[in-house]
Amino acid sequence: MAPSRGAGVPAAGVGLIALAAAALPLVTRDSYYLDVATTILMNLTLTMSFRLQISTGQINMAHISFMGIGAYASALLVTRLGVSFWATLWIGALVAAALAVPIGAVALRVSGPYYFLITFAFSEVVRLIFNNFFEGLFGGPSGLVGIPKPDRLFGLAFDGKLALYGLMAVLAVAVALALVRLEYSRFGLTASAIRQADLLAETLGVNVFRSKLTTFVLGSFVAGLAGVFFAHFRQVLHSSDFGLEPMVLLVVFTVIGGTGSVWGPVVGTVLMTIAAELLRELHHYEILVFGAVLILTMLWAPEGLVALPGTVRRMLRKLRGTRTEAVGAGLAP
Amino acid sequence: MLLELSGVSRRFGGLLAVADLSMTVAPGAIHGLIGPNGAGKSTVFNLITGVIPLTAGRIHFKGERISGLRPSEICRRGIARTFQATTLFREYTVLQNVLVAAHLATTPGLGPALFWSRRYRQREQRARDRGRALLDALGLTTVAGQVAGKLPHRDQKALALVMALATGAELVILDEPMAGLAEQEKAETTRVLRRLREQGVTILLVEHDMKAVMGVCDTVTVLDHGLRIAEGTPREIQTNPAVIEAYLGAEEPGA
Repeated sequence: MAPSRGAGVPAAGVGLIALAAAALPLVTRDSYYLDVATTILMNLTLTMSFRLQISTGQINMAHISFMGIGAYASALLVTRLGVSFWATLWIGALVAAALAVPIGAVALRVSGPYYFLITFAFSEVVRLIFNNFFEGLFGGPSGLVGIPKPDRLFGLAFDGKLALYGLMAVLAVAVALALVRLEYSRFGLTASAIRQADLLAETLGVNVFRSKLTTFVLGSFVAGLAGVFFAHFRQVLHSSDFGLEPMVLLVVFTVIGGTGSVWGPVVGTVLMTIAAELLRELHHYEILVFGAVLILTMLWAPEGLVALPGTVRRMLRKLRGTRTEAVGAGLAP
Repeated sequence: MLLELSGVSRRFGGLLAVADLSMTVAPGAIHGLIGPNGAGKSTVFNLITGVIPLTAGRIHFKGERISGLRPSEICRRGIARTFQATTLFREYTVLQNVLVAAHLATTPGLGPALFWSRRYRQREQRARDRGRALLDALGLTTVAGQVAGKLPHRDQKALALVMALATGAELVILDEPMAGLAEQEKAETTRVLRRLREQGVTILLVEHDMKAVMGVCDTVTVLDHGLRIAEGTPREIQTNPAVIEAYLGAEEPGA
């Protein structure tokens, strides 16, 4: 779906996200609900940045790896060198973005299924490095433990659930604002044009390679940012946190919401993170449920849940249209 | 000369699709490129616009070498094209299609797109105005809000032309602009091409409709099996024995 480019929509949408995020602590301060809400916001930054890359036609199966790179980078800088979290928040994201430049430059030489496979291979390499190599550094299979919570900032402590939630909310709203603005700018217009017909875009003066690399690096920066938060929120890192399973969930969340619109991942992430919590009892079987939901979405709402109202409206109009046609045919001699 | 091909060749495996082709396109001309099927016409277009690399030779535009550049860079230098199988951003509206093309005139930066500065908004407005003016000129204003993929064939062709023009190109390369059009629509396209020439746009086109080619072109180049076999005014081409020979068995050019 081509997004409508009215000026009011982006402001209203991000405003709604900000309002909902600000309202939650007024409703409940229960630590479990705050935990879930923090996870939603963290996932939101991941799915929105993943979708930014999808908008140019790249399904980057290594997106979660850049989250991992940000997470491990920050965790090591804080625990080994005593750098402040407030510095590593940016350094971690920048490390992820910097590594994304050469990796993207190689992966983006190909497209479609080959790109998918190259990024998938890369994500496995990253996971194996975290798991099997430099055990003294990354902690190996038992993980990297003892990561502290963010240190104080301007006299504010960040050791409670509420403060961490507030921090994540600020980050998520900032990310949402930036990505929504991009989507509704000529940058977003060009990105989706590349996905629809890359050769045409190229011959109309769009440097397709550079545009794709820009979204790859920008998306990785955001993933790195989410990773840094994740490290100091969970305080322990395992290589499997950035493996295939969370990556598949990331794809599922995004696709169920709908990749055609910047709002798709928002809808998908909120609904599916809550669903994941409700299905927690099922342990590893929850992925079966997600798989079923994904198949149903693909069959009945291929443009995702966010496009559902439009799809239903079109179907109704079609139904009504065929009915009038049938009546007309009946009147014909 | 606006465009200059010197010794251009392109090999696909064992097939020499374009063989040592040299030709020039004069500024302000409507230049036709014709030849039987498989003569290498579309390959020449792909070579000029950088879509496929040259095997040998070089191409100059306004005196600067463009062979070896990315298609996007060649477009920035002032050459835009349409495709034989009309290609559009099918999910976008007509206006959005034109905007993608019109944006070229004003470079998109990540920063401006993020911060929506006043200058950025002014540029956006200019791109929008320019796009609307072009749509108006080609009678597409009434469908500006419609999704491009669902337009009738004639409108899709017109839109592809508008997009090429919206880049601000000085040379527009059209791959079969008349294909699939009704007689009346062809006459309309001919008028549009003439009007563009008056406005100083140079046009290079491949076309199978001989009547249209002979009626609109100032110069015609004839290709056969990747070789240039003739070049001249439509009148010269129609009486050229080599051209008649190449088309023999099919139809006489100009018939």
